[in-house]
Amino acid sequence: MSEYTYINPKFEKEINEFSKKTLVPELTLNYDIKVRDFVNTGNASADIKLTLKRLGVSSPVLRRVAISSYEAEINITAHSKGGNIICNVYPEFVHIQFKDKGPGLKDIEQAMIPGWSTADDAVREMGFGAGLGLPNIKKNSDYLHIVSAENSPTLVEILIFYIEK
Amino acid sequence: MKKNYFHAIKINSNLCDGCTKCIKSCPTKALRVRNGKAEIDENRCIDCGKCVLECPKDAIETFADNLSVINDFKYKVAVIPASFSGQFNEAVNYRRAKKAVLSLGFDEIADESMVTDIMGNFIQDYIRNHENIRPIISSNCPAVVRLIQVRFTDLLPNILHLESPMSIIATYVREKISHEKKINKKDIGVFPIVPCIAQVTAVHQPEGTYQHLHDGAISIREIYRKVMDIYEEVENYDDICSFPDGLKWAIAGLKAEYIAEKDIDVLSVSGIDNVIDILAKIENGQIEKYDFVVMDSCTEGCIGGILNIENPFIAEARLKKIMRNSKHKNKFFNDKYFTKLYKDNFYNVNPLQPRSIMKLDKDIKSSILKMREIRKIKDLLPGYDCGACGAPTCCDLAEDIVEGKASLDDCLILKDKK
Repeated sequence: MSEYTYINPKFEKEINEFSKKTLVPELTLNYDIKVRDFVNTGNASADIKLTLKRLGVSSPVLRRVAISSYEAEINITAHSKGGNIICNVYPEFVHIQFKDKGPGLKDIEQAMIPGWSTADDAVREMGFGAGLGLPNIKKNSDYLHIVSAENSPTLVEILIFYIEK
Repeated sequence: MKKNYFHAIKINSNLCDGCTKCIKSCPTKALRVRNGKAEIDENRCIDCGKCVLECPKDAIETFADNLSVINDFKYKVAVIPASFSGQFNEAVNYRRAKKAVLSLGFDEIADESMVTDIMGNFIQDYIRNHENIRPIISSNCPAVVRLIQVRFTDLLPNILHLESPMSIIATYVREKISHEKKINKKDIGVFPIVPCIAQVTAVHQPEGTYQHLHDGAISIREIYRKVMDIYEEVENYDDICSFPDGLKWAIAGLKAEYIAEKDIDVLSVSGIDNVIDILAKIENGQIEKYDFVVMDSCTEGCIGGILNIENPFIAEARLKKIMRNSKHKNKFFNDKYFTKLYKDNFYNVNPLQPRSIMKLDKDIKSSILKMREIRKIKDLLPGYDCGACGAPTCCDLAEDIVEGKASLDDCLILKDKK
């Protein structure tokens, strides 16, 4: 099993606190993501964004949430056997978990390199699979945590704060 | 509620039987049926006109100025939109129909199609000078501008902040006539003939404009009827100019072609549902980078406006035929005049302001509380989105209940189960 963690240094204290405590989210949104459902993919991230927009989260933050969650949703659709998204809304930040049923990543560090991709031709023809998914998620999140292994499920989780430092 | 916004639609409660068809058609969820009658939320309505087409009882009435409004002015000018000539069948001569408009009591007519060419140049220049904003979104459809103000406020800076062809032609004729005929500008009435209610609203409550442009908006529908009444008697129309190339402006796809260049990628979107889909994708960064996006609330562009007579596709075919066959390729002569005014920033508009309907409450914490309430109530509701309560979806009813505008008893299905 391998693991990858990125922490935005500006939020180090808050993120460490978050991983220590078990906070109860104010709101939880659940979405099932079907295998290779390229027609509906993006609906979950659109709904997450809309929910946060209605809560009054600022535009630049909304854009980051939209980009990260869209990329992660596409990853489940394009590369996995399906999965689900759990979005937990807290008063100061949003925590989103993307879980799939495998086949898992052999090498996470490699997947973090922009341009590296395992996408097959069918996926590329749809305009996905450029190898920018995970790097883009990292760029737009304050916390990124990936747990995976070959022939295992993958968990991608992110934290984005409503206030930008 | 305080009246903040002008709207060119009104519910006729004598005709409305509360069927709820309209509430589902509204792209901004501005309609509810309460006490058996439809109501419009004026903060949400963008005057797209979808509900007007949906209503089986014709209970949603459209407003446009009556032709008699021109009598308040000494000198009367009609501004004819590009979509106008698509309304008539082939037996009707385009220039003769325009002469007929003049005969309805106007002193002069001007064409939107006179300035669309030069407008295309201005837009290209604007796009090149605003490299940091992508995409630039067209501003000529007032329903799209208002949609962005209420639902996509992040994209307000992306809107092309320039006056429309209908507006620049209005400033031109007013200037020209006052100068040539020595008539006080206040005595000159400039009246666009409009294809849709959003244009009526834009005339009565313009967004962002610095100057007085129009004095009333008369519908194509009314003008069409009156033109047909007198058409046979109209003679001597040889001196009426036409600018067939400029008619492209009425057709969404062709309008985009004005602007497209090697360095300017364009996208053309029409129909309010498509517009919403693409705006959401632009806002979320889920679409390739276009330099310019032409957006029209109506199918195929202004020819799809609800104050037209003809089906948009037929109007499109006719316009294209006029463009192909016309021998009179008049070029509008005053390019220099317009270019100077453009360079002097005369066609700039004020930054457009949001009218957001998206935020639930004043801050995130109280919005979360409201959202929790809404979700709790939504879980009690059947989730059929049948609309029988008068709200478009169960989620909207839940929201209305939390806002104190409705109650659980409004759900007929829950009532039935009790």
